[in-house]
Amino acid sequence: MGNKQTIFTDEQLDAYQDCTFFTRKEILRLHGRYHELAPHLVPMDYTNDPDVKIPLALIVNMPELKENPFRNRIVESFSEDGEGNLSFNDFVDMFSVLSEMAPRELKAIYAFKIYDFNTDNFICKEDLEKTLNKLTREELTPEEVNLVCEKAIEEADLDGDNKLSFADFENMISKAPDFLRYL
Amino acid sequence: MADKQASGSFLRLMSEESQASDLIIVFCDDHQETILDQGRCQGAPRRSLGGYSEDEDAWYPTRRWDRNVPLRNLPVSMQEKRDIRDRRNLQRRTIGCWESWRRSQRTVRRRMLEQMVQALSALQLWGRTLHSIEGRFGVSVKVYFVFLRYLVYLNLFNCLLTGALIQAPVFIFRNNIYSSTFKENDSYLDFFLGTGFLERSPVFYGFYTRGSLDGKCLNTPILFLLGVFSVLIFSLVMLVRRTVNGYKHKWMLSGRYNFSMSFKVFCSWDFCIHEPKSAAFKQSNIRNDLKMDLEEERFELLKSQRTLKVRVKIYFLRILLNTVVVILLGAAFCLIYIGTKYSHQQKDSKNYPWLYSLLLQYLPPIIITLVNFMLPHIFRVIVKFEDYSFTSQVNITLVRCIFLKLACLALFLFFLYDTLQKSPQNNQSCWENQFGKEMYKLLVFDLLATFTDTFFIMLPKKLLSEMYPECFLLKVMGRQKFLIQLNVLDLVYTQTVTWVGLFYCPMLTQICVCKLFAIFYIKKFAVQRCCKPTQRMFRASTSSVLFHFVLLLGLLMAFVVLGINLNKLKPSPTCGPFLGSSTVFNVTTMCVDSLPVHVGDFIKFMSSEAFAVPLIVVEILFLTSSMSLRSANNKCIERLKDMLVTCSSDKWYLVKQQAAWLQDQRSPQQSSSRAGSVEGSAPPEPRAHLDFHPLPERSVSQPCDTEPVPTHSRPPWNES
Repeated sequence: MGNKQTIFTDEQLDAYQDCTFFTRKEILRLHGRYHELAPHLVPMDYTNDPDVKIPLALIVNMPELKENPFRNRIVESFSEDGEGNLSFNDFVDMFSVLSEMAPRELKAIYAFKIYDFNTDNFICKEDLEKTLNKLTREELTPEEVNLVCEKAIEEADLDGDNKLSFADFENMISKAPDFLRYL
Repeated sequence: MADKQASGSFLRLMSEESQASDLIIVFCDDHQETILDQGRCQGAPRRSLGGYSEDEDAWYPTRRWDRNVPLRNLPVSMQEKRDIRDRRNLQRRTIGCWESWRRSQRTVRRRMLEQMVQALSALQLWGRTLHSIEGRFGVSVKVYFVFLRYLVYLNLFNCLLTGALIQAPVFIFRNNIYSSTFKENDSYLDFFLGTGFLERSPVFYGFYTRGSLDGKCLNTPILFLLGVFSVLIFSLVMLVRRTVNGYKHKWMLSGRYNFSMSFKVFCSWDFCIHEPKSAAFKQSNIRNDLKMDLEEERFELLKSQRTLKVRVKIYFLRILLNTVVVILLGAAFCLIYIGTKYSHQQKDSKNYPWLYSLLLQYLPPIIITLVNFMLPHIFRVIVKFEDYSFTSQVNITLVRCIFLKLACLALFLFFLYDTLQKSPQNNQSCWENQFGKEMYKLLVFDLLATFTDTFFIMLPKKLLSEMYPECFLLKVMGRQKFLIQLNVLDLVYTQTVTWVGLFYCPMLTQICVCKLFAIFYIKKFAVQRCCKPTQRMFRASTSSVLFHFVLLLGLLMAFVVLGINLNKLKPSPTCGPFLGSSTVFNVTTMCVDSLPVHVGDFIKFMSSEAFAVPLIVVEILFLTSSMSLRSANNKCIERLKDMLVTCSSDKWYLVKQQAAWLQDQRSPQQSSSRAGSVEGSAPPEPRAHLDFHPLPERSVSQPCDTEPVPTHSRPPWNES
């Protein structure tokens, strides 16, 4: 690369390249985006690993996440404290998993975390109801929501405990049709 | 191994068939509160330090210890990844240089492969257009365009085959010079009628002669046959592969793997949506889809509650409406017959003005297209009265439309064959050219009809509805929708005509490619400018299998037609590469005869009954064994599913035991009152090696003789 950048040390960039699916250029671009979110908070010089976190409210306003009904849960799943405050490490990690280069298995693990609203490592009926309400903007009647959730649990639950564990979820996701693969 | 232990309220069964007990679920509900109060695993906040043991809250299968798992695929926080990286780097120094070189080569190869795959997928034709269509109109409309693109690829490869095997030899080894100039009698009508200029060109069968390539086995007629059959067989192989893959996928998702509702809840949101309008559209799509599913369930419920009187009435109505459909189809077929006959009779008369004779020539394609345009709409209206659920309505209309299209084409070909057979052979200057011309006319007219429909019907309708939004007539006709199924059937029709006519009009594949390109841009205009996105979701995945299957039917029809024509009709004596032979297969017989004796005998043996019958018997045996293997696997799956349920109940039982024991430890005074419900006072040995999730929280004191349970999800019977 031509220009010498002073945001990260080479060793840091190598580490980021190994730990995510991004190239050096993309990581620098991500840093630019991160800086844009809170210019007064985020320093331009990351060589000594400053401990800076951007609050949830700023991150969910990013254009990539703004229209996503699950944006709060996504940011919470990637934050260290579970409250949605992302350091740059978490930020890069989040976009690495959400990028198209991440494998399906990895996305399934994080998808399970996202849909697990009460973070008890199970997707229970309440989690499903919240997912459905977010998905349809609460336009279904409570009775319909109840029916849909019951049917979904009935379909996917393999071990008979009326909740979806990760094994159930992964089993179900692995059978999802790659819609247009066979067209 | 029926281990019945009725303690309190639960029952453990190891069943032969799927008979999971309801009591297990009752048991779980009863004791969940106590268990979860005692041992609730508090959430999974991401740890930033790697201080905990490797299996801490690892409810997913981690393979941190596996050096070959790339760091970026690990589902842990960034800081942990960097720690693991440092650890791996330290360990890497102890590996020899050969090993490290091998590993680096592996990563280099992997990265190169990934880049190649990405580059290839970016090269796909019309990628960006399809992406934008998907964004605005949903996946279902994209299905149509993806199908169109697939046909373009198929036809491009077929072009290569025909170009190499049919056209190239004739051009290279031609005896007389081919002059592609206009002569005096030619006119622009030739492009529509296939006469004159076009008749002398490579488009039709008559152009191809034996030429100077005249070996025993390597001559132009054999290459011609080889070209046609290789195109058909290649198309067959590709289609069968796709249909089977799609059917496998669809079959896997029905019956016991019917995850349709779960997929809709978890997999239907598109995480790439940026704009509020698309988001709102997607949300209403999802909502409508769910409502449709619920409505269907309600319909099924109502259906099962029908009285006998209502049922009789409905069946009577259905029979009546089906008769109406049959009558309509019969009328359509009669029209086609009359049209073909009249057009053939009037073919040679020259005293009509040019427009009238053009219309006469095009009478059969006009009738077929009109019939295929009007009847599907009538079918759609009829099926609403037959009282089926929405999906069934869609499927039944689709089946009727498919039957209509294919039957019209089949009947037209039959009448054509009839006419050609009846007319005296020596009067026909070149009956193969005649056949080829009819196929050519079908294709051309279909393209004209599509063009007219888009630019002279849909576009004015849209402009009118924008200028006069309150017009009553337009409201009655309804909003313009892009009817995917009918459009896909048109594509199937085009492709079938191409296959049928290939022998008699060898450039038909090239013409078909041009036509498909034109259709793509016409339909793209229609969709983007004239139609509004429909809110109702179209069941994409199941119908794509159906469309490939219908395409396969069309291909089979092409095989049948070609077989009948080649066997029953004599090649005409004045044109084409087969002139002079009594059948087309004379050239192959001559080639086989010219081969060395053993090879010739071998080939004759392979095409005789002595070979075919044992082959069929072997195939039947193979099929039977595959089917019995399948049913054995089904039974195995059922048994494994039951084992999962019983394992889960075992888990809960043990957690309950442990919780009860812990409570005993804390409040020994109350233990006496609970002695009856707990087996013994000593803590039961928890069965090690169960897939125990969730783990009780570490803050609760563990009895010291419990072994830490690994968290791989391996079934217990697999333990050594």
